[in-house]
Amino acid sequence: DHLLKKATENEYNTSKGISFLELKYQLLLSYLMNLTYISLQKSQGSSIQDDPAIDRLIEIRTVLEKMRPIDKKLKYQVDKVVRTAASGGTDSSDPLRYRANPENLISKLDDESESESEGEEKKSKIYHPPKLTAMHYEGDETEMDKDQKVLERAKKRALSTSMLRELREEFSEGPTEIRETTSTQRSRAERKLRERTHYEEENFMRFSVSKKDKNEMKRVAGLSSLNNLTHFDDISALTEGRAPQAGGSSKKRKHGGKGKKGKKGFKKKRIH
Amino acid sequence: MSEGAATIRTRKFMTNRLLCRKQMIVDVLHPGKATIPKTEVREKLAKMYKTTPDVIFCFGFRTKFGGGKTSGFGLIYDSLDFAKKFEPKYRLQRHGLVEIKKTGRKQRKERKNRQKKVRGTKKAKVGAGKKK
Repeated sequence: DHLLKKATENEYNTSKGISFLELKYQLLLSYLMNLTYISLQKSQGSSIQDDPAIDRLIEIRTVLEKMRPIDKKLKYQVDKVVRTAASGGTDSSDPLRYRANPENLISKLDDESESESEGEEKKSKIYHPPKLTAMHYEGDETEMDKDQKVLERAKKRALSTSMLRELREEFSEGPTEIRETTSTQRSRAERKLRERTHYEEENFMRFSVSKKDKNEMKRVAGLSSLNNLTHFDDISALTEGRAPQAGGSSKKRKHGGKGKKGKKGFKKKRIH
Repeated sequence: MSEGAATIRTRKFMTNRLLCRKQMIVDVLHPGKATIPKTEVREKLAKMYKTTPDVIFCFGFRTKFGGGKTSGFGLIYDSLDFAKKFEPKYRLQRHGLVEIKKTGRKQRKERKNRQKKVRGTKKAKVGAGKKK
């Protein structure tokens, strides 16, 4: 209210209205004053309950918050002015001085019509995908590089096989962790099952299991999982220094040529 | 609650005030026996929660692999009127409170094929007469 008194006594020149920046300046100052008053009270041990300073603080804070978006919009202008004031004069080659030239934004259609008529047909036939993101260029990679990369990946994979993990545990000096075996197929199926039951219980509904999931669960729980006990991963990347050949893995083994479909759509049965 | 070596336990009990009901997950333990029919589960739940069995709706019972344990869902409504309002029709039909008319799959498909031959508002008339 001291400020109000001064303003009403026309001490400040308010003929054109208070400028935005000046208002912000005064608000920040009064906020600081109120804050120091309150911290003084607290350090002296007197209570600050129902203190008018707190109301004033809240009021100033809300006004400052409301001013923030306007401040953001003015930021560019203010920064420019401050920079020119600091540098002491406008530099003619300052790139920020230039505005956008709207004439350059109009596509020059005359150039396009001048393109060769021969090239046009070719252009329309070949499909060029739109350039949206930067893609990794693989053209300059030689055969050697590719082979090296494959070998590196195979080595990394071989390092994390169960055989090497057991070797490492044998020679390590830390305490051994005894855990039940976590085979990857089983953990995946278990995780899916757990997620599904959790969802079902949360939402009070039952799902029907898709064929893929049913087959996976059958595969995991059935006798075929016993075959994987003696199946060890290929570590030829480390022992022989070459990437393992594809074709040994039996995960995605498709039947050699699906049965030919008869007229009615079912497989014809062979009658010997 | 054990009777005839079948135990019922409820889990995740929640009172749903918006739908005027209590909902829970029902676990039935029945070692050595087949899955208990829903009507019996309803009776037992009624005894547990001291209500009549006609406001209890249970569904979704799945027996775990190996047998002996079944989990399902149970809803206990505050009154039968609320139950008729909020429950889906097929579950009310299971209790005999609502009759859903079914015209038979073959009939429906034949009617659709007859309608295909006609255009516009005549489609509504076509279904009425069953052509011999």
